[in-house]
Amino acid sequence: MADQNKTESANNFYNEILSPCELFAARSRSHKLPARGQKDFYPDDSEEQRQRLQQSLDEHWRLISEERVERLGNLVKGVWIPSDRIVELQSPAGKFWQTMGFSAEGKQYLLPEEALYLMECGNLLVSHQDLPLSIQDGYEMFLSADAVSLQQYQVFGHLKRLGYVVHRFDPSSEPSSYARQLNLPPSRERGGRQLKRKRSPSPTPTCSKGESPAEKMEEDDKLPESHLPTSAEPAEPQSCSSGSAGEAGARTWWMTDVPDRQADKRPSPGSPSARSRWNFSAIPFPDLGSTGRPRTVAPPDPSLLPGGVTVGVCDVASWMQKVNLREVRMSGKEEERERRGRRRDVNKDREVQRCRNWAEYHELLARRQAAREGRPAHLWSGEVTPLHDPTQPISTAELLEKISVITSTNLLEGASRLKGSEEWRICFNVYQPDSVADFKKSNPGKPYTRMCVCSFDGPVPDLRAIKQLAFQSGDVLVVFAVVDHGDISFYTFKDFQLPRDVFP
Amino acid sequence: MEAPPCRQLGELQPEQERSSSPVVGLSLCDSAPLLWRIQDLKAVRSSGLVGALLGALPRTPRQNIRLGRPLLLLPEEERLLRERHSAAALPARNQDAVGTELQQRYEEEEQRSYEEQSILALEDRRSALLRAMTSSSGSESGVGSDEALQGRLLALGQSFTFPRSALAVQLSTARAGLSHCQEARAFLQVDWPIREQDSPRREARYQVFRDLRGRGFFLTSAGKFGGDFLVYPGDPLRFHAHFIAVCLTLDESICMLDVLCVARLGSNVKKTVLLCSPAPDGPVHYTSLQWSGMV
Repeated sequence: MADQNKTESANNFYNEILSPCELFAARSRSHKLPARGQKDFYPDDSEEQRQRLQQSLDEHWRLISEERVERLGNLVKGVWIPSDRIVELQSPAGKFWQTMGFSAEGKQYLLPEEALYLMECGNLLVSHQDLPLSIQDGYEMFLSADAVSLQQYQVFGHLKRLGYVVHRFDPSSEPSSYARQLNLPPSRERGGRQLKRKRSPSPTPTCSKGESPAEKMEEDDKLPESHLPTSAEPAEPQSCSSGSAGEAGARTWWMTDVPDRQADKRPSPGSPSARSRWNFSAIPFPDLGSTGRPRTVAPPDPSLLPGGVTVGVCDVASWMQKVNLREVRMSGKEEERERRGRRRDVNKDREVQRCRNWAEYHELLARRQAAREGRPAHLWSGEVTPLHDPTQPISTAELLEKISVITSTNLLEGASRLKGSEEWRICFNVYQPDSVADFKKSNPGKPYTRMCVCSFDGPVPDLRAIKQLAFQSGDVLVVFAVVDHGDISFYTFKDFQLPRDVFP
Repeated sequence: MEAPPCRQLGELQPEQERSSSPVVGLSLCDSAPLLWRIQDLKAVRSSGLVGALLGALPRTPRQNIRLGRPLLLLPEEERLLRERHSAAALPARNQDAVGTELQQRYEEEEQRSYEEQSILALEDRRSALLRAMTSSSGSESGVGSDEALQGRLLALGQSFTFPRSALAVQLSTARAGLSHCQEARAFLQVDWPIREQDSPRREARYQVFRDLRGRGFFLTSAGKFGGDFLVYPGDPLRFHAHFIAVCLTLDESICMLDVLCVARLGSNVKKTVLLCSPAPDGPVHYTSLQWSGMV
């Protein structure tokens, strides 16, 4: 028995190496996949079923045992360089060069995962020490936990076989959070488009379009003065804010001050930049409705005008004709209402006269106020008061906002402060198959998704990891490729805002 | 765990058992157990272990519907093989041991292959020519065309060259080497790399796997179905899976919502969910979940 085994194994020793005759015959091999028939529901030990199983198994083994046979002229040759963990090409690269590989010092190289994939596709023959590597050698030499893991390669191969362009993700090529805060144009990726944008004649503020909510938020929080034309700024925001300043200056007479306009948009009374540079109480505005009715208006103080502008005396006669100067005539009823609406003299009030000091007067006012508005005074006396004073007018949306104790947040909120973790990292940039035709490795553009590889044996990413990866990826979706032995499933976590109906 | 690596070979198992089931050679790639040689794949399948194919299929590499070698084993499959003493971890390729002798031999082989293939190619061309001539000369007179045929064949024999670039070469899937003979494997199976299998969950998974396999079921991983294993009544090539096995230790409490989740999912894919818990030193308890159908 043992002897028989020995001879058998000796025969099998090189049985997966094809003879020249077999190699020659393999040139006219079919490339079709056999169709798989309908499966049965339950084994019934019938001869028919047994035969069908045997047939399927035979076909399976025929398919699996097939070896790769290629014409030598069709193979690109490469050499494995163990020290750098890359493959150096020794003959001109094929069509795959459009989406894979890189050049350095006049030589062409492939990353290990790319080389292994091309070996599996029968396009590449990699040698090491002058001997060709088998696919098994490739798996065992190219893949390791500290470089490209087997699971990462499984995902890479799966996506490549589907036609996607897959590149390693390089965190350093992404703009840093600081660069994003300043809204600096990305140095490499969007360089080409940046030039085009500069050439375009319209000064419309394009910079806010590309901003993600996080960036906007960051600016609001930390850089309130970044839009002021007075402060030194990076190129892009300046061009857009100066554009808007120009617009404002052309359209209005008195409002040449952009800071005021900006302050309207972002009401932050604490910051000094929000306050006006001018003291409006000291600037006389012409009163065109007064009884004196001057025919002319004196020129404004030259210090209020921008340099190089001179304004003479202005004749307002033509304007006066357009203004309705009729005196208001009120009916008796209206006059009565007007009179009642006016404040009564508080000193004539008996209760007020009874007050001996200011404190008592304030108390009286508070008492009267409470009585008039039906606001239960005891609710407002303690340290804890209701969230909203019913006497204060407020819109429904604002009220909902005010009484929501737990406010909703978005995925990127606070993500910039999170430190990157060792456990979770983005592995691949993935570009869609239809982009292959005009794909450029030097300028790949924005990826379709970014891929993070994990396993069903490992943990589910926590919110921290999801936030951190989403922030790192910017506006590109992060997809988790979960490897379960042979199977790969793709999952993604998306930001979701609960819809809210507000009826005013 | 059971067999300390220093034990003598002869003690490991009875002689006849070893010869009945060939020792399967495993290669570790990034610590995953992979099978490469077709005889190993067949041996594993014949003992009812399915595994998962990972590689591109040589015939049509750019698709994911049918994949090719290598075959990845589940940790449970690997452990079962180990307990039956029918698998051995093959040593990794010795990267520096390649001598000039081997390189020379490879070049000789290639040269021999080239010569043989050029003869085959010439033969191929000659028979094609012969076929073309005889079919066209059928209408003409016999003697003159026969001479012409001989002349053409002679000319072909002299002018024919088989270009080097047309040489068909093999990109081997498995590595050829000395580690594949039976004796070497028997020796190697003692040297099993230690892999952690210590968590109670893993242990439960393994007990369930072994029990279900022992009952003749075929199992594959069921991550996509939210369970541990997909359970097939026969070879997955011919049969649909009937059950989704969810492995739990006996004292593990499970949340009602989770039970509902797996039951709901199972009924959606027309499979029955099995909650499987191995009792200590005893049988595995199976509980199936089904919608009662009552409204």
